[in-house]
Amino acid sequence: MNPAWRHPSFGAGAVLMALVIGAALLSLVWTPHDPAAMRIMARLKPPSAEHWLGTDQFGRDIVSMVLVGARNALLVGLVAVGIGLVFGVALGMLAALYRGRFIDEAVMRALDFVFAFPAVLTAILILTWFGPGLVNAVIAIGIFNIPVFARQARAATLQVVAQDYIRAARLAGLSRPAVMIRHILPNITGLMIVQGSTQFAFAILAEASLSYLGIGTQPPNPSWGRMLNDAQTYLATAPHLAIVPGLAIAITVLAFNLLGDGLRDLLDPRMKER
Amino acid sequence: MKPIRRLAAPAFMALGLLAPALAALGLALSGFPAAAQPRDTLVLCQTLEPPILDPSGGAAAAIREVTYGNIFEGLVAYDRDGKVVPALAREWSTSADGLVWQFRLRPAQFHDGSPVTAADVKFSFERAVAPDSKNAQKWIFEPIAGIATPAPDLVEITLKSFTADFLEGLAMGDATVFSAATIGKAATEPVGTGPYRFVRWQRGDRLLLERHDGWWGAKPALKSVTFRFISDPQAQVSALLAGDCDAHTNLGAHEAVAQLRADPRLAVTIGRTEGETIVAINNAKVPFSDLRVRQAMAMAVDRRLVNEGAVSGLGTPIGSHFSPNHPAYLDLTAERPVDLAKARALLAAAGYPNGFATTLRLPPPAYARRSGEIVAAMLGQIGIRATIEPLEWPQWLERVFRNKDFDMTIVAHVEPLDVNIYARDNYYFGYQSPEVKQAYGLTKTARSEAERREAFRKIQRQITGDQVNLFLFMLPKITVARKGLTGLWPNWPVPANPLAELRWE
Repeated sequence: MNPAWRHPSFGAGAVLMALVIGAALLSLVWTPHDPAAMRIMARLKPPSAEHWLGTDQFGRDIVSMVLVGARNALLVGLVAVGIGLVFGVALGMLAALYRGRFIDEAVMRALDFVFAFPAVLTAILILTWFGPGLVNAVIAIGIFNIPVFARQARAATLQVVAQDYIRAARLAGLSRPAVMIRHILPNITGLMIVQGSTQFAFAILAEASLSYLGIGTQPPNPSWGRMLNDAQTYLATAPHLAIVPGLAIAITVLAFNLLGDGLRDLLDPRMKER
Repeated sequence: MKPIRRLAAPAFMALGLLAPALAALGLALSGFPAAAQPRDTLVLCQTLEPPILDPSGGAAAAIREVTYGNIFEGLVAYDRDGKVVPALAREWSTSADGLVWQFRLRPAQFHDGSPVTAADVKFSFERAVAPDSKNAQKWIFEPIAGIATPAPDLVEITLKSFTADFLEGLAMGDATVFSAATIGKAATEPVGTGPYRFVRWQRGDRLLLERHDGWWGAKPALKSVTFRFISDPQAQVSALLAGDCDAHTNLGAHEAVAQLRADPRLAVTIGRTEGETIVAINNAKVPFSDLRVRQAMAMAVDRRLVNEGAVSGLGTPIGSHFSPNHPAYLDLTAERPVDLAKARALLAAAGYPNGFATTLRLPPPAYARRSGEIVAAMLGQIGIRATIEPLEWPQWLERVFRNKDFDMTIVAHVEPLDVNIYARDNYYFGYQSPEVKQAYGLTKTARSEAERREAFRKIQRQITGDQVNLFLFMLPKITVARKGLTGLWPNWPVPANPLAELRWE
């Protein structure tokens, strides 16, 4: 057995994540019912053979909504982390290569400025300004991922740049961009992946929070956060409406956090030596 | 230690999102302490807090819910059936041509002890039409040519022209009688003539009224009444179950009705407000300016299902912009039955065989947001792809209501007899109809009630025929009270909670 699977965090995280990704992929080809189909006269039904987790306030099938919601959550995480990763790593490496010079200061101070604001609060501000919706929500969350990745990338790059082989590469006539792409990037990838999985969990949670507040994903697109919001009014009469999406969010966030923890240990060279 | 700490924060955040689920379990398990109820006090809860307490200074229904018939009175008033009854005026008469109205005042006093005189009435009505007046219903006073006070207890009002709804207007909260001496603090420390006087107002929370023993009517049963303001629908339910509220005048959480009905300590009454809930359509904009498009939309939207899904079936479906509470009401709900095939054919005939994309801008209330989701799904069945855009009230008022920057919206028009909005120029849904304008003029000049009703029916038929908007349902009024409390209005011909009619049994 591959030793990676024996790492408890990584193993558990991977299994949970496979579950979430599986649900999202499944929803592309099959859901028990049309997640948008309303059967108003069959609303708020408890779990049954036809609707395994019951129906919501408009008579929509909750299983189908949760499955499509998984796709939605993963998409949000992927795009938001992608934005942070691409811009963050580029800016972080740029700052590191011009360490101590004006570009470094300008980039890092600007990112500090973004970092100083509470992410979800500012996302609310951005969404109020530009209008609610999934696309704006993802961009807002993505923007707040940029400084996180940039700081990590800068610190990691500085470590790598100090290595002798980088100097050798420069002396051999390789340009700065070439060094960056060929030698530095591969060396900081592991760290970025670890950071990425933690930020993934944050992004999913942030989207759920924004949708819960009614400014994230808009109906009829199913979102776990909005399902929670809708469920709030039916807590006393139909608690399963809140429990199902709540568990889905908790499992997904847990999966990515465990995975991140496991990866960090596994990718740490000192751990490998042991 | 680091990995654990890193994990902990997001995990707790995830738990935070689970909190509603956990609260559900808590709610289901907790017991409900039965509080001993003193027989002459009452805690009455309502959804919205009034911004001010002067009913002549704003349109907010919450002002009237607190003050109407309690702190303030007019010459006449609406009773619970929407009939005009005497208030400060003991009796009245009109001249043969309907132009001169004489009101005989009863002996009454303001809460500061000063008597109510004809001069106070003259002052109040003249102030209401003054250019700087903030009165929301100036139309009530606009027909007035002059007010004379031949005796301290006699008011003589002369009208410019015959006005059929003059007395009905005077029964509204906007026609309150004030005293010139205390008008300055009417907004925050009102002094009126009603059975209850203002004591204290803790903004954001509650307002205390006490019985005014100098009132002209029979002595009310309740000595002191607290209004509490709870906007969150779930908190309203919890407050009722916990006994923090003796009654709620119009519960927001209609989905909790079954649960509250099952509680042996509470009585639930489903009544009607005057709130016609409609999908307002921008009639001035392509493609909605085409009657066939609006008709197709009407044929795709099943108002009975919208009523079920949006307000748990507690509303009353309507086929026009008119309240079933009014004697002139026509049931037009069968006028354009749901027929998807015909709807698609109409759309195709209008040049949209594949439908079109549009937006549905929704204000915050739950009835609007929920109706919006259902209506969007129903329109989707005939190819009209409506994107939902939620707005806050200020944005809605600015963009939709004032600037007419919208395709469709959903809102309840809560004023009584507000069908006059279809006769207005430049109203937000952009409808123009000489027929409706003419018929509305008739309702003002009709000499007999039969003639007036016929004019109202003509308007109803016309706006349904033109399918100006999609008419959904009347907003329900859900009254929940502890058993033993009697006298709350089951319906709201006007939003009001006259406390003098309440008593514990």
